[in-house]
Amino acid sequence: MSGIVDAVRAALGDDTVAVVAGLGPVSAEVPASAWAAALEAAKAAGATYADFLTAWDELDAGIVVVAHVSTPDAADHVLLRTRVPSDDPVLDTSIGVYRGLAWHERETHDFFGVRFAGHEPLEPLLIQPELGLHPLRKDVVLASRAARPWPGEKEPGAEAAPARRGGRRRTAPLGVPDGWVQGEEGGA
Amino acid sequence: MTADAVPVRSRGVISLVEENCTVCMLCARECPDWCIHIEGHTVTHPADEVHRRPRTENVLDRFAIDFSLCLYCGICIEVCPFDALHWSPEHSYAGGSIAELTHERGRLAGWEATAPQPADRDA
Repeated sequence: MSGIVDAVRAALGDDTVAVVAGLGPVSAEVPASAWAAALEAAKAAGATYADFLTAWDELDAGIVVVAHVSTPDAADHVLLRTRVPSDDPVLDTSIGVYRGLAWHERETHDFFGVRFAGHEPLEPLLIQPELGLHPLRKDVVLASRAARPWPGEKEPGAEAAPARRGGRRRTAPLGVPDGWVQGEEGGA
Repeated sequence: MTADAVPVRSRGVISLVEENCTVCMLCARECPDWCIHIEGHTVTHPADEVHRRPRTENVLDRFAIDFSLCLYCGICIEVCPFDALHWSPEHSYAGGSIAELTHERGRLAGWEATAPQPADRDA
């Protein structure tokens, strides 16, 4: 077990911190309201180095924000994570504790729309705000998938003709969610 | 191996053996980034003394791989039921425009001469 995790649990209470062991470092999930306190406790326990912060979209289960913090000698490290609702993703900023995470928070805001309270201004980093979407959210349709016809749609021997409607089930491209492909029912 | 040579199993380019392709579309459907374009048509052979029923056959009209999109995953090669696609270590095919990276069937067939034989590949 990690001394950093022990310190975070001591600071927040055992019931507040869910510890998940994995192949890599231990993950410790805390409520969003305890995010800043967890970061402070980790830093106070010697994890003075944070090298990344990012997020992933779990749809109805919200957006998970994760930060990797480590002791400078890399002897002990932990993935701290928390969860914010998809429809209103707001989280306290980490830059008061780890100033170097500012870049990562800007990137996470670009890609997932997570707003970091206390990080002002949260300047766009990689995505032009005029785009109006956060492309790593799973509800964002990948434009190149919706705009281009799928080369696999043709049937063997059918010259550029789309597969028959009705009758046999139309083949769908692998890994592309329902509703993305042009001409599909409910599609773009 | 000379200094500028690459290992024989390198994923340089994908070659096509046109005679093996049955226009089954499996590679185009499995391709994760939609870079294989296939067109074909069906011809019907009438019944004769040997074949008592008419037979249909798919004929390849177009086979193209867009190497500007290809991610060199090799799924198309793995999925082909008739070994019509092979890896070649040849990798010198940079072009002056993105359109030149779409290799049509003739160019793909030309790469076949550079694809290693299984015995060489597995040595």
